Amino acid sequence: MSGAANPVQPMCPCEGEDPEKLAQFEQRIAEGVHIEPGDWMPEAYRQGMLRMAEHHANSEIIGALPEGEWITRAPSLRRKLALTAKVQDEVGHGQMLYRVSQELGKSRDDMLRDLVMGKTKYHNCFNYPAPTWGDIAMIQWLIDGAAIMNQKTLADGAYGPYVRTMNRINMEEAFHFKSGEDMVLTLMSGTKLQKQMTQDAFDRWWAVSLMFFGPHDKPGAETMPAMRWRMKIEKNDSLRQRFVNRFAPAAKDLGLIINVCAKDEHGYVTSVREDEQCVRDEATGNWGFTDPDWDEFFRVIRGNGPCNAHRLNLRRFSHEQGDWVRRAGAHGTITTPPAA
Amino acid sequence: MSKRRHITYEFDGDLPEGTGDDAHWVVYTRKNAGGPARWAGYLDAVDVDLALQYSREHYGLDEACVGTLIHRHDAMTDSEYGLEPLSPASAKGDDGEPWVVFVQKGRGNIHIEAGLVHAPNARTAIARGIASFAGGKVTNVRVVLQADCHEAMQEDLAIWREHDLSYKYARGYSKDVRAKWRTFRDEADLEGYRAGDIKEHF
Repeated sequence: MSGAANPVQPMCPCEGEDPEKLAQFEQRIAEGVHIEPGDWMPEAYRQGMLRMAEHHANSEIIGALPEGEWITRAPSLRRKLALTAKVQDEVGHGQMLYRVSQELGKSRDDMLRDLVMGKTKYHNCFNYPAPTWGDIAMIQWLIDGAAIMNQKTLADGAYGPYVRTMNRINMEEAFHFKSGEDMVLTLMSGTKLQKQMTQDAFDRWWAVSLMFFGPHDKPGAETMPAMRWRMKIEKNDSLRQRFVNRFAPAAKDLGLIINVCAKDEHGYVTSVREDEQCVRDEATGNWGFTDPDWDEFFRVIRGNGPCNAHRLNLRRFSHEQGDWVRRAGAHGTITTPPAA
Repeated sequence: MSKRRHITYEFDGDLPEGTGDDAHWVVYTRKNAGGPARWAGYLDAVDVDLALQYSREHYGLDEACVGTLIHRHDAMTDSEYGLEPLSPASAKGDDGEPWVVFVQKGRGNIHIEAGLVHAPNARTAIARGIASFAGGKVTNVRVVLQADCHEAMQEDLAIWREHDLSYKYARGYSKDVRAKWRTFRDEADLEGYRAGDIKEHF
């Protein structure tokens, strides 16, 4: 799962590019032609696609960490099998996306090293805690639901290898989402305690889900290179509204209350008030919602979220623990595994 | 609660020197015996045994299929990408080694196995592949020496896909989910939600 559409940063103008080739490239994009490896592309496009695919790949493997912690505590064998398969899927998605990135010019080894050294980013939503099984249900229902919405638009992008990979990933994400929906439905059909656990988890993840699509679009976003070159297809605010229109009524029908929450530095809710804006506008058909705390969003991006250090350090621990395996595979060098 | 999740790891300094990337492999799956191999994804592995194992356990379990086919990424040769479909050429001949030909119907599509040609080198194999399989309907032809293609087929494996895999597929939940929703929503709302599901998520 990932919200890879959103790390697109301002890209440098195409200075120094051949104007004729650039015009041909832009015309192809406008006509809906896919760009394949070996085709000419502006350097800014290659860098932008690399940044986007690498961020997406990083998000997939870091995204496996909070759920991976729950495999041993899944409440039934079927849930355990499903969660194991899901975590494996996410790591597999990371592998596929690193391969797409490699074709754009960066080695996988460098990408993994840059990730654990904090030189590159991953999606913000994985820097929050998942203290209960209800959080795992919410990650699969809300975050994977948001991810599919986002990734379905990315599958309409222009870069062939990324499009093929998105189509494959979306097929697997559908299982993640459906499994999460089943878990939420089960919990909300359960005991009073289970319902309360689900509401608490929903409170922790609703605003995070709204942030998933990234900050508000800048004016003229559709004419900037990221959208003009069909690296991303839909604006952040438009995707967010579609998400709310689908999930707000579903949550309410399930008996969940959509709250505006304050959180402490560990990501736990300290106070709640019902979101009075979360009603359907009969004229537009859109559901209203209170904006998430964008200061928190940027604080987490800068590395100061509840779990940033924990996630990165655990990834580094795994990377260093696996070093002897990689050396054995690459060079036939057999060394003693490190003590855990 | 696992103790592992509460351990705080602390690190100083840089990482050990990197090992470089393992070999890249391209993975295809076969939906049925005798059917074509269809592109599924990529993996990195140091040798063919590990690559086949990964392909079975990842791609081979993620969809209904009867086997996987892999080849190293550097073993494939693709034709150049044009904007128009490749026209049939008249490159005939059956000398040389057997090459597996994969075709891509359009830019952005996946490569699908089309058949075999014999040729003394990749360039000739591409020309013969276009002549035999393009038919003015594909934009790219990929050739790989048959000797460089490796397969893991269900019939050759003692244990693979023998257990209930419904927990891995969205359809494994559909019936239960619909039944559970009925306690929260009436049938008309449920049908609208299901239509949205297909539009937004599947």
